[in-house]
Amino acid sequence: MRSTTTTTMAVKSKLVSLLFLIATLSSAFAASFSDSDSDSDLVNELVSLRSATESGVIHLDDHGISKFLTSASTPRPYSLLVFFDATQLHSKTELRLQELRREFGVVSASYLANNNGSEGTKLFFCEIEFSKSQSSFQLFGVNALPHIRLVSPFISNLRDESGQMDQSDYSRLAESMAEFVEQRTKLKVGPIQRPPFLSKSQIGVIVSLIVIATPFVIKRILRGETLLHDHRLWLAGAIFVYFFSVAGTMHNIIRKMPMFLQDRNDPNKLVFFYQGSGMQLGAEGFAVGFLYTVVGLLLAFVTNVLVRVKNLNAQRLVMLLALFISFWAVKKVVYLDNWKTGYGIHPYWPSSWR
Amino acid sequence: MAALESPQPAATTTAMRHAFGNVLSVLILVLIGVLAFSIRLFSVIKYESVIHEFDPYFNYRVTQFLSKNGIYEFWNWFDDRTWYPLGRVIGGTVYPGLTLTAGTIWWVLNSLNIPLSVETVCVFTAPVFSAFASWATYLLTKEVKGSGAGLAAAVLLAMVPSYISRSVAGSYDNEAVAIFALIFTFYLYIKTLNTGSLFYATLNALAYFYMVCSWGGYTFIINLIPMHVLLCIVTGRYSPRLYIAYAPLVVLGTLLAALVPVVGFNAVLTSEHFASFLVFIIIHVVALVYYIKGILTPKMFKVAVTLVVSIGMVVCFIVVAILVALVASSPTGGWSGRSLSLLDPTYASKYIPIIASVSEHQPPTWPSYFMDINVLAFLVPAGIIACFSPLSDSSSFVVLYIVMSVYFSGVMVRLMLVLAPAACIMSGIALSQAFDVFTGSIKYQLGGSSNSTDNAEDTNNAPKDDASAGKTDKGEEIVKERSSKKGKKKEREPADKPSVKSKAKKKALVLPLETSIVALLLLIMLGAFYVIHCVWAAAEAYSAPSIVLTSQSRDGLHVFDDFRESYAWLSHNTDVDDKVASWWDYGYQTTAMANRTVIVDNNTWNNTHIATVGTAMSSPEKAAWEIFNSLDVKYVLVVFGGLIGYPSDDINKFLWMVRIGGGVFPHIKEADYLRDGQYRIDSEATPTMLNCLMYKLSYYRFVETDGKGYDRVRRTEIGKKHFKLTHFEEVFTSHHWMVRIYKLKPARNRIRGRAKKLKSKTTSSGWSSKSEKKNPWV
Repeated sequence: MRSTTTTTMAVKSKLVSLLFLIATLSSAFAASFSDSDSDSDLVNELVSLRSATESGVIHLDDHGISKFLTSASTPRPYSLLVFFDATQLHSKTELRLQELRREFGVVSASYLANNNGSEGTKLFFCEIEFSKSQSSFQLFGVNALPHIRLVSPFISNLRDESGQMDQSDYSRLAESMAEFVEQRTKLKVGPIQRPPFLSKSQIGVIVSLIVIATPFVIKRILRGETLLHDHRLWLAGAIFVYFFSVAGTMHNIIRKMPMFLQDRNDPNKLVFFYQGSGMQLGAEGFAVGFLYTVVGLLLAFVTNVLVRVKNLNAQRLVMLLALFISFWAVKKVVYLDNWKTGYGIHPYWPSSWR
Repeated sequence: MAALESPQPAATTTAMRHAFGNVLSVLILVLIGVLAFSIRLFSVIKYESVIHEFDPYFNYRVTQFLSKNGIYEFWNWFDDRTWYPLGRVIGGTVYPGLTLTAGTIWWVLNSLNIPLSVETVCVFTAPVFSAFASWATYLLTKEVKGSGAGLAAAVLLAMVPSYISRSVAGSYDNEAVAIFALIFTFYLYIKTLNTGSLFYATLNALAYFYMVCSWGGYTFIINLIPMHVLLCIVTGRYSPRLYIAYAPLVVLGTLLAALVPVVGFNAVLTSEHFASFLVFIIIHVVALVYYIKGILTPKMFKVAVTLVVSIGMVVCFIVVAILVALVASSPTGGWSGRSLSLLDPTYASKYIPIIASVSEHQPPTWPSYFMDINVLAFLVPAGIIACFSPLSDSSSFVVLYIVMSVYFSGVMVRLMLVLAPAACIMSGIALSQAFDVFTGSIKYQLGGSSNSTDNAEDTNNAPKDDASAGKTDKGEEIVKERSSKKGKKKEREPADKPSVKSKAKKKALVLPLETSIVALLLLIMLGAFYVIHCVWAAAEAYSAPSIVLTSQSRDGLHVFDDFRESYAWLSHNTDVDDKVASWWDYGYQTTAMANRTVIVDNNTWNNTHIATVGTAMSSPEKAAWEIFNSLDVKYVLVVFGGLIGYPSDDINKFLWMVRIGGGVFPHIKEADYLRDGQYRIDSEATPTMLNCLMYKLSYYRFVETDGKGYDRVRRTEIGKKHFKLTHFEEVFTSHHWMVRIYKLKPARNRIRGRAKKLKSKTTSSGWSSKSEKKNPWV
């Protein structure tokens, strides 16, 4: 079957949008008189604010917004990329706010690291927190998260949504965000620099620990008394890998499948089983993986452990239980498989029997 | 085929029973072979004796060439019909095992005056080798857990759906012979490990050589065996037998592997093979330690061990450092993309769309396991536990085999094929043990001396088995499966539990009678379900040749033979040197059936070339025409399923063309073809999508069929219904519109001013090729 895989037009689940109460826009736009001096003052202030943060993301509040955006006259000497955050929504994992915020920081840090000098003052990364600056959210007309907005130098009406980052622009996280920025601002973000998984000193410590431990480990191996000589450990490991694989966990990791979905028709109901054989949900995989594994474990228990039990009635009881569970598990998997794939597996009888 | 065990001289009855058991085993093995062969004939019976799918067409073409021109011509064959204008050196880039095997079979049959066509030999190679594979499984499992488990495993493997999917008659692909080679290599390794015989070690290297010739999956062997050796060493199981099993394999095997042109120096230069060399060094260090331990007193040894270990460590560190330096010097760390995506499963989807796009490289979901190994998925854990009680060198190997293969199968659905033999072995062991315990309990409690019961069972068995041979398929399999379990039990008792003490112990280990009977019945039901599933899978799911399609509807059977119709059209109506462009899926078929030169084919060795075709398909008509014209293409072939509802057509594969094209030529952006992240071709589709060549060639004149342009695959009306082609003209559309062939119109005469106008038009429609990386063909 070596051929290109086909794409199905599955409808992607949309992000849950959150409605904010939109009050009337009462704040008036303060007229501002600007000259190059105040421009450079603002830039200097932004730079100093930026240097105070770790990744270069400036935390703005209502006051900051009015100072750097509404009261600064267009064209401003800088663009702002604003990340709209809400701490109270961090618990909603499907919005991925924290992950996106982290990636936003990565882009900001990469931009800073790759652009020294005058280029570095043309774009600033900012964030606004909902609970602290609700009026700014109204100002921008933001009523759904996640929301990332680029405010270019020429935009005077903050409700202008042309600078909004689409879902596809942050789907590939920092890389696609950087592409978006490069497209819109014509500034180079440069290669994304993610913080290394382990810092250099950590690696050094680990390597030295390994080097120190090696002689002891070898000594124990030669004596034959390590954990590795414990059969039960290997057995448990083997069974676990088996469970892990037949549950389709690799699929869930590669495709980043959630554990369950929300029913589109009834938001209170959760969908644990996905119909259609090309996809599966996390909980579904683990459930079936468990059913796959439990039958073999029970069989092994009966043939290896239960035969040694002396009490005949206990044997009988446990065995009946084991048989019942196994039968139920197989039946359940067959049922689920038929339901999920829609195959009608049927025997072939001789035609004279019909 | 069955290696017979030497009869024990204890008593004549025992010897008789033993001999009888051996005869029965051979008979059962023959039946298993027949079963393995015949279950794969559904494709011939339901369709016809035809080569299947994509890759087999290439193998068939190579075999034809081999049988016509001989082996030396084959080694030097430069194929100019494919990858135009680059061509391909077939002899140096193909795994020759399958081709040489089928070529040899054809040659032997012909010299015996059996005039079979090359195609017939090719069609039936896979079923024949699956019979061999089940016999090899018997041998392997017998080495691990006795012949009873061996027979059970063999019968399971004979009909495991995963293997059937790659070895039905007509599926003439590398895996057909490679799975046999894989199991046989493992068998010889275990055999060497159990006997310590250099003879088997040599055979093992030869079997490995055959495997290297047959399939790229040989890297699985050359990594699994070193891992097992390392495991044995680490858990203190080193023995001279281990050394004999491993050292000759590495030396001879690597030398032999380097003889295969497609592997060549890769056998010593790529990271896939480094594990074996590292373990080779380690095993020598360990062997030295054991040797010194043998010749020194314990006290002296303690002094020596410090010295040896430190020297050994230094050597190891140096070698590791060299390896690390070598690996670090190559950009991918010396690993090929496919291997890397096994270690880091998210690698391919991130970086190599050409690997991620292939349907057999997708990660499987749980129904895939149920489909491909069915109830074996339930039995494997029991088999693993049975292998741990007690743990031997050979049983630890099969445990390692199942663990590695089940993990890899979780990453790539294609590797389910490697998992299948392991699952069969494990399930065979589990079933055998379970039947052993349950029937033992029943026999013990039904009373009487064990000897008389056994004799009674023997006589019961024989007629049952004879009768089953003549019966029809299904009943036969169930009975045979059951009887094979019994046959095994008889053999196991003398082999595994010879001492009186263990027999007495066994008598004490019984389960209640009635629950044992229930358990036995349930196990037999499980086996019956397996048989039903396998027969169904062989008949319905895996027998379709995909070159001829059928569909069952109320008014009878419909046959869609559009592919062969169009390839025949190409071969009859076009010039022999014309170039045909299509997506790479159809390259092998076009060269084999139409005998026309193609631009790309299923041997996806040149990503840029494929990306060029992908770019052309994703470009507007004029740009596409220029790309194709620069490649001397005369005809463009697209596969379209919208009329009859054939889902694996080019429109459904189109996103991959965009992705692969965009990976090399960045002016193609996937986002331009998606509306809000969704791929659609209806009125909501993006203008880029509606104007690209693939859309136009697929849906040209489509509205004339039903007046609305309703696409049955996408279940929607198409977005742009009435349009004309400017640079292409339709020359052929097959009966059910599945294949559409277009001819490139000749270039127009230059008109002043016109070129300029066109240019400005294209740039305004978002076609900004100037600022981006330039397409070399434009």
